[in-house]
Amino acid sequence: MKRRDFLKFLMFSPVILRTGAWAEGQPELVVASGGGPEGLVRRAVEALGGMGKFVKRGDRVLVKPNMAWDRGPQYAANTNPRVVAEVVRLCLEAGAREVLVLDNSCEDQRRVYKRSGIAEAAQAAGAKVPFVDPRRFRKVRIGGKVLKEWEVYREALEVDRIVNVPVLKHHSLARLTMGMKNLMGLIGGRRAQLHWQLGEALADLAAFFRPQLVVLDATKVLTKGGPQGGNLKFVKAMGMVVVGSDQVAVDAMGARLFGLEPEEISYVAAAHRRGLGEMDLRKLRIKRVRCEGA
Amino acid sequence: MKGLNWPRLRPWVQAGFLALFFFLFLETTYRGRDEILYPVNLFLRFDPLILLSALLSTREIPWAMLPALAVVVLTLILGRAFCGWVCPLGTINHFLSRFGPSRPASSRWKYWILFGLLGSSLLGVQLVGFLDPLSLLIRSLTLAVEPVWNLAGHAIFGGLYEHGVEVFEPLYAFLKEYVLSLRQPLYHQALLVGLIFAAVLLLNLFRPRFWCTHLCPLGALLGLITLLSPLRRWVSSECNLCGLCEARCPSGAASSKEGRWEASECLLCGRCQTLCPKGAVSFGFSLRGREVVEGVDLGRRKIIASIGAGMLLAPLFKVNASPSRGNTLIRPPGSLPEEEFLKRCVRCGECMKVCLTGGIQPAVFEAGIEGVWTPRLDFDLGYCQYACTLCGQVCPTGAIRELTPEEKARTRIGLAHIDRSRCIPWSQGVDCIVCEEHCPTPEKAIKFISGEVLTLKGRRRVKLPVVDYGLCIGCGICQYKCPLEDRPAIVVTPFGASRGGGFLLPA
Repeated sequence: MKRRDFLKFLMFSPVILRTGAWAEGQPELVVASGGGPEGLVRRAVEALGGMGKFVKRGDRVLVKPNMAWDRGPQYAANTNPRVVAEVVRLCLEAGAREVLVLDNSCEDQRRVYKRSGIAEAAQAAGAKVPFVDPRRFRKVRIGGKVLKEWEVYREALEVDRIVNVPVLKHHSLARLTMGMKNLMGLIGGRRAQLHWQLGEALADLAAFFRPQLVVLDATKVLTKGGPQGGNLKFVKAMGMVVVGSDQVAVDAMGARLFGLEPEEISYVAAAHRRGLGEMDLRKLRIKRVRCEGA
Repeated sequence: MKGLNWPRLRPWVQAGFLALFFFLFLETTYRGRDEILYPVNLFLRFDPLILLSALLSTREIPWAMLPALAVVVLTLILGRAFCGWVCPLGTINHFLSRFGPSRPASSRWKYWILFGLLGSSLLGVQLVGFLDPLSLLIRSLTLAVEPVWNLAGHAIFGGLYEHGVEVFEPLYAFLKEYVLSLRQPLYHQALLVGLIFAAVLLLNLFRPRFWCTHLCPLGALLGLITLLSPLRRWVSSECNLCGLCEARCPSGAASSKEGRWEASECLLCGRCQTLCPKGAVSFGFSLRGREVVEGVDLGRRKIIASIGAGMLLAPLFKVNASPSRGNTLIRPPGSLPEEEFLKRCVRCGECMKVCLTGGIQPAVFEAGIEGVWTPRLDFDLGYCQYACTLCGQVCPTGAIRELTPEEKARTRIGLAHIDRSRCIPWSQGVDCIVCEEHCPTPEKAIKFISGEVLTLKGRRRVKLPVVDYGLCIGCGICQYKCPLEDRPAIVVTPFGASRGGGFLLPA
């Protein structure tokens, strides 16, 4: 399916829904567009069935943004802080006992947490935003195809739910970084070596962590110079958010928003092959939500 | 000053300055702002020894050091009150001297040290930082003491945590916020610097304030200035020669009515006045009675000899060839050209303390013998964070210039070079690109070309990293992050650094 076809498909999908073709069940994937980041997140999660479907009362929830780089929000190198804050609020509204926001950043944590704007926004929304403590990595069995065992952050092993909140952006090696690539921020050790077998290694991580929900931030996207960014020339306002519980489907949709075929992204293809999710968008119940003025 | 019990105030004043010193030391770090909030190098900038030696070595007025004139004025009035009341190393020595025997003495050594250091400064070899007390203290705290207290803190709380004791975690969190550092500091030379510092402290158990009375070149400088001051010590006829003041003076300056007070050695601690059972000792000012002040009997020959020794030492440092000099030496961004840098740097370690990543390390012999303990970037231990300008903000002497973020982005401290025989894409035909991923320049200085590599499994098309010399600023994150940790396949060298002056890059 080419992009043009897909856009047509998106246009007609509400029609299909209305005609009852996909009447059974709620959508598996929601694509929200228009309006501010908070409204996008809220409407998209609502359309997917509400946060209560993924977060239960009393849960400890780990919200995992992409908080890797020493860049301000305008550079779109990290997840939009307003998107993260809204996800935190939704989790707390759903009755979460505690919401943690953290990332094993690629640069100095103090600068990254501060400069990304995420620490401040998430704390204001009620989350705890601890620095990654090197003592809290545990070497555990991943049992993957290439990752047999690896250091994983203790909180990621212990929390009740993981909500992955990646940003959609260009990545020089992976082509795009989205949800599955974002899971690298929950591991320690010599993680740069994952680059040598990136597709399979990320599929291993996806199979290991299995986040309950993925909220893909495409409010602003970095089209080139990723993942570090730092050049406003390459930042485009897209004004979209994709949510779903199928992490392969969310990343597949992210690829499509970039005008790429999902199978062009090595880790999406690898995860799909292993049955971790569906990358064929034609087989998914997709709902499109417009939030003009929200 | 008769009647007023001023010596009673001294411990409080000392404690206050020591607390201020430690507060500023702990604040010499990133606290969530691009600018350092407090004047963390305050003590160094009040150091007349650094002022004078910088003046001699650069033959320029070191504007940043002008606050030190205040200490000169203080000394012209109150003698070595700085040593007795303000100096943090003096205060630590004073406290530790309580645990040793009271057999006061002073020595002329410190004057020879002072003249030797100034003699070499005169010829542009700046060695004063090795023995300047404030540089010594900050360097020792940074390179040795703080890493040890971090190790201990993390070991204690880490051990408790490992054993399931989590009640101390809030306290630990507090300490991590304000006292411990986020990352365990590791430094080259920590052992040597730590042992030297330990020796300085232990000497107090041999004689009270041994460092201050025997070795300190700043104390010597202030002692000489004191000879111009109107400060006087009187012993009235009430004195019964009990000898208590002489026995308990920490610096061997006090005397009974029969001896002579050595103004240049007196730390103005006031102990003799407090202890005198007859109340015979008092301090005051007088421009007359100069003859009762014992001038330091240094002797012209010895002064000339020590200055001469320093001046001889200078060219010896200069002609000592260091095979590695210039080959691996990368200075922090904003560092002046090497000659100018060495004339200013006092090896205080402020830049190493403040460096976010721990990349600024004390040189061993990378900068020659003359450059021992001066800052260099070690990209195996850390890297230069693209938007950070902290090292230039804390340098007290301007050896590292303060850069704006825009200047910093244009300052090339070196250039990255790829070792194609080790680089995974080049040598193994496997995609990697970690260096390119981390490269922080707005237009990436590491680019990749798509090319075919002949491997044991046939031809493979991969992304091959190449450095763009025109864009690389030598920040070193590529070297630090290279997955080949044993010997990175991308290495930054000082070739082409901005501070080297004009250079030509291959077109």
